[in-house]
Amino acid sequence: MNLKVADFFIGTFAGGTVAMVVHLTLSSQSNMLLTMVLGGLIGMALLLPLKILLMPFFGAFEVMIPLGIIGMGVGMTAGMLSTLPNISGYAVIAWGDLAGFIIAGIIYFSNQRYTEQ
Amino acid sequence: MSNNKKSYDGVAKVFDYFRAGDMRRWGPDQLALFKNLHGKVLYIGIGTGQEIVNFPPGLDITAVDMSYEMLKRSQTRAQNYHGKIHRCQMDAQTTGFRDNTFDTVVTVCVLCSVNEPINCLQELKRVLKPDGELVMFEHVLSKNPVYGLILKSMSHITEFMEGTYLDRNTVENAEAAGFNIHSHKNVYLDIVKALVAKPNIG
Repeated sequence: MNLKVADFFIGTFAGGTVAMVVHLTLSSQSNMLLTMVLGGLIGMALLLPLKILLMPFFGAFEVMIPLGIIGMGVGMTAGMLSTLPNISGYAVIAWGDLAGFIIAGIIYFSNQRYTEQ
Repeated sequence: MSNNKKSYDGVAKVFDYFRAGDMRRWGPDQLALFKNLHGKVLYIGIGTGQEIVNFPPGLDITAVDMSYEMLKRSQTRAQNYHGKIHRCQMDAQTTGFRDNTFDTVVTVCVLCSVNEPINCLQELKRVLKPDGELVMFEHVLSKNPVYGLILKSMSHITEFMEGTYLDRNTVENAEAAGFNIHSHKNVYLDIVKALVAKPNIG
């Protein structure tokens, strides 16, 4: 698979995974600040083993940087979303997927800018 | 330094596995960087010899690594190279070579793992001829605060696991050691860089 395409798949998968775990763990909480902090911590902790697992196949920095951002960013926002009343788990996961894809895209264009300098 | 040696001996068995993704990503950039290697070449940190396939044929290379286990695993790749590769176990910070011996010195992800990078670069300057080139393919700390924060936090883990630092300022270190950067290309973000430097003889 083209490694550039793989970066987007990894971002989407990681975002969805973090959102799902954060939602399953924190959906019973109602304190938005607490779930934001806990969600960020869960996201970072969850993606650490995923980074180590993916690095040998897709490159150390190309995995480490996006997953570092996705772990904290998606974890925090998914934690906050999970406190909203009547929000479904599918909606939180969809947010995680979308956020992961967008972060992968931002890094892709950031990389284009740096490497063309 | 002996701690680093032990850690690299320890990871030698899985080194190829963990670097496979990097080699797939960086192969074309390494080929482009190494195509102008010339003369007597000192290859610092041969590891398991993964980069040898990206060297142009016909070079006279002296390759060093402080880890015996790494050197042992580089044997097949060194033998398959169409040119001369003489391998020896040596610390990059205190090589046993005479002053002004080499036309080119090559480092690939070495300055992230030596204990004293400026001392190491000064040693490389000593063994490099005054008109020689230091060719570096290295990762450095990003100047972007978000990327930099991630690298600094991950650096604690990589230091613990294999003695690799992700927060080195190799460009500044090279200048501090007496090199002028002649060519500077970002390979991934502003983290992985292909650099060519020359000794500052002014």
